Amino acid sequence: MDINLMMEITPLLMKAAWITIDISARALFFGFFIASALVALRTSRHVPIRWLARAYISVVRGTPYFVQLLLVFYGGPALGLRLDPFTCGVVVGAFNIGAYMSEAIRGAIESVDSGQNEASRSLGFGRLATLQHIILPQSAGLMIRSIGVLAIILVKNSSLVSIISVVELTYQAQRLIGSTYKPLEVFTLSALMYIVIIYAVMGIVEFLYRRATRYTYL
Amino acid sequence: MEFDFSPVITYFPTLIKGIGATLLIGVVVALLSILGGQIVAVISLYTRKAVNWPLRFLIWLFMTTPLLLQLYFLYFGLGQWVLIPAIAVGVLGLGFHYMAYNADIFIATIKSVSNGQYEASRSLGFGHLATIFYIILPQAFYRAIPQLGNNMIIMVKDISVLSAIGIAELVYLSQYAISVTFRPFEFYITIAAIYYLINILMETGQSWVERRAAARK
Amino acid sequence: MTTATKDTPMVELKGVKKRFGDLEVLKGIDLKVERGKIISIIGPSGSGKSTLLRSINYLEVIDEGSILLDGVQVNRPDLKGLAFERHINHIRQNMGMVFQHFNLFPHLSTLDNVTLAPRKLKGMSAGSARELGMELLERVGLADKASVYPSSLSGGQKQRVAIARALAMRPKVMLFDEATSALDPELVEEVNLVMKRLAEEHMTMLIVTHEMAFARDVSDWAMFMDDGVVVEQSTPDRLFTNPDQERTRNFLRKHLESQAVAHAHF
Repeated sequence: MDINLMMEITPLLMKAAWITIDISARALFFGFFIASALVALRTSRHVPIRWLARAYISVVRGTPYFVQLLLVFYGGPALGLRLDPFTCGVVVGAFNIGAYMSEAIRGAIESVDSGQNEASRSLGFGRLATLQHIILPQSAGLMIRSIGVLAIILVKNSSLVSIISVVELTYQAQRLIGSTYKPLEVFTLSALMYIVIIYAVMGIVEFLYRRATRYTYL
Repeated sequence: MEFDFSPVITYFPTLIKGIGATLLIGVVVALLSILGGQIVAVISLYTRKAVNWPLRFLIWLFMTTPLLLQLYFLYFGLGQWVLIPAIAVGVLGLGFHYMAYNADIFIATIKSVSNGQYEASRSLGFGHLATIFYIILPQAFYRAIPQLGNNMIIMVKDISVLSAIGIAELVYLSQYAISVTFRPFEFYITIAAIYYLINILMETGQSWVERRAAARK
Repeated sequence: MTTATKDTPMVELKGVKKRFGDLEVLKGIDLKVERGKIISIIGPSGSGKSTLLRSINYLEVIDEGSILLDGVQVNRPDLKGLAFERHINHIRQNMGMVFQHFNLFPHLSTLDNVTLAPRKLKGMSAGSARELGMELLERVGLADKASVYPSSLSGGQKQRVAIARALAMRPKVMLFDEATSALDPELVEEVNLVMKRLAEEHMTMLIVTHEMAFARDVSDWAMFMDDGVVVEQSTPDRLFTNPDQERTRNFLRKHLESQAVAHAHF
C-alpha cells in the first residue's frame, strides 16, 4: 500500500464524497414528499387516481434505476427536459426512492392495529386528526427504520450518476484508478468513505428511532 | 416533440441479442450467487474464526459499498495483474455482490432451523456434514426462498449496470444503436418496458415458487 | 459385534456421570437392559431421566462411566475427531430415538422422512426403501399420509411417523424421550397403541414418561429417578403400588393429585 499516494488523493475523494452526500440527501428530502403524495393518492376516492399511483409505483420499482437515469438524462431533451447532471441525479433519485418509500410508509401505517383507528374515530377524531395524533406517532419507529434502509440504498445508488459525469465518489475513484494505476489504494479509501457515510446514516436512524419510540419505555 | 420508434424496430434484432445476453448473465449469476451463498454461509457458521472472520468481513464489505465501485475495482484492479475478459469480471462481480447478500440470508435461515432437527438427524446416525447437507440446508433454503426471490429480482435490474464496464448486454447494445440513430428516448423507454416485463414475469414466478414451497416449512 | 452373545445385555450403563457446569445431573448410574425387555423411567422434571436417555444416544457427552450397546462401547474416550464421528454414527444407526417434540423433517414428505436414513446411510435402493417405508407407515396406521408434508399432520400423527422413521433403521433398541408429553390428551392413546404393539413384538425399549398407567401396563421393569440417581427400581406392579422408598411414594402421590386436578377441569 502506497501511503503517500493515499494521503495525496484523500482531499479529492473527500470532496467527491461530499457530492455523494449532497445528492443523496437532496434526493431523500424530495423523495419523502413524493412518497407522502403517493401514499395520499393511493387512498384517493377516485379509482383512476388510485390506479395511477399504483401503476407509477409498480413501474418505477419494476425497472432499473440505472435505465431511469439514462432515460431522463439522454431521453429527456426529446421531451424538452434538459437537466444538468447533478440535478438529474437528484430528480431521478427522488422520484425513484419516492416509489419505494411510499410502500415503506404505507407498510408502517398499516402495521398499527386497526383498533387504534376505531378507538380514535369513536372519540370523534376525524380521518386526518386520527392519522396525525394516533396513527403516525405509533408508526413512526417502523417508518424511520424502513426509510433508513432506503437512505442507504440511495447512497449506494448515487454511485450510478458517475455514468452521467457527476463527480461523486465512484466517479472520482474510477478516474483515480485510471490515472494512478493503484486500484487497491483508491478502492480502500473510497470504500472506507462509503462505509463512514452509511454508518453515519445508520447512527442518525437509530437516534431518530429511539426518539420516536421513547413512549414504549417511558 | 415527435417520437419515431422505427429505429427501435430496425435494431430490434440487436435488442433481442441484448435480452438474450441479459437473461443468460442473470441465470449464471443467480446460480453462482445462490450456490456460493450457501457455501459461504455454511463456512462462516461452522468453521473456526480464522477461517470465517475474513469471509464475514468480505460479506460485510460487499454489502456496504456500491456495486459499481466493486465492478470498477475488479475491472481495473484485476486487469492489472491478470488478463480476464470483461464478461468474466461482470459475472463474477455481480455474482460476488449477490453471493454476499444471499449468504447473509442463508446465515439467518440456517440459524433459524431448530437444534431438534440437528439432534433428530444425528440420532438416526447421520454425521455432522451429512446432517447439514440433508437436513439443515434444505430447510434453510426453503425458508430463504422469499428473500432470495427479492434479491434475484433486484439483481436482474443491476445487470444493466454492467454496461458501464462494456459488457454487451441490453443497455450496452442499445447505446450502440443510439449512437447511430440519435433516438435515446425511444430506445431507453423500450428497454425500460422490456425490463418491466421481465420483472413482472419474475414476480409471478416468485409467488408460484413460494406457494409450492410453503408446504415444506 | 463379535463379542455379543444372547446373554449380553442390550444396553448397559456403568457408573455414568454427567455434569452441566457445576450441576451434576447424573450421579453414577448403573443400568442393565436385557434384550426384548421394556424399561420405564419415571421421575420429576429435572431428575435427569431425559439426560440419561439422551446420553445413551450420545446426544449428551458423559463425563464418567461407560455405556454399552449390545456389548459394544458407545462412549470411546480413545477415539478423537473423525474416528469418533464415524464410530458414533454407526452406533446410532442401531438405536432409534423418539423425541418429545417429534423433530420430523419439515422439508421432506412423510414417506421421505422414513426412508431418508436407509437410503443415504445403508445405500438402500429407492424401490426397496419405498417398500420398507410404506410397510412401516402401514404399521403406524399412516400409509394414506405417505405423500403429505409434516405440517399437515396432527401431533399424534407426527409422533407415529417419527416412530416409523426410527424403526426404518432396524434398531436394536428404541429410546422414547417423553414421546407423548407434548400431545393433546386425546392424541396420546394413538401413540401409546403403536408403542404397545412394538412391545408385543419384543422390541427392546427404554421409555421416559409421565404416563404412569401406560408405564405400568407395558413395561417389564420400572425405575424411579430423582436428583440424578436411581432411587428405586423393581417390577412395575411393585413400584407403582407398594414402593419401598419414601421419595417414590411422595412423587407418585403428588403426581396422582396433579392428574386428578387436571382431569377435574374437563
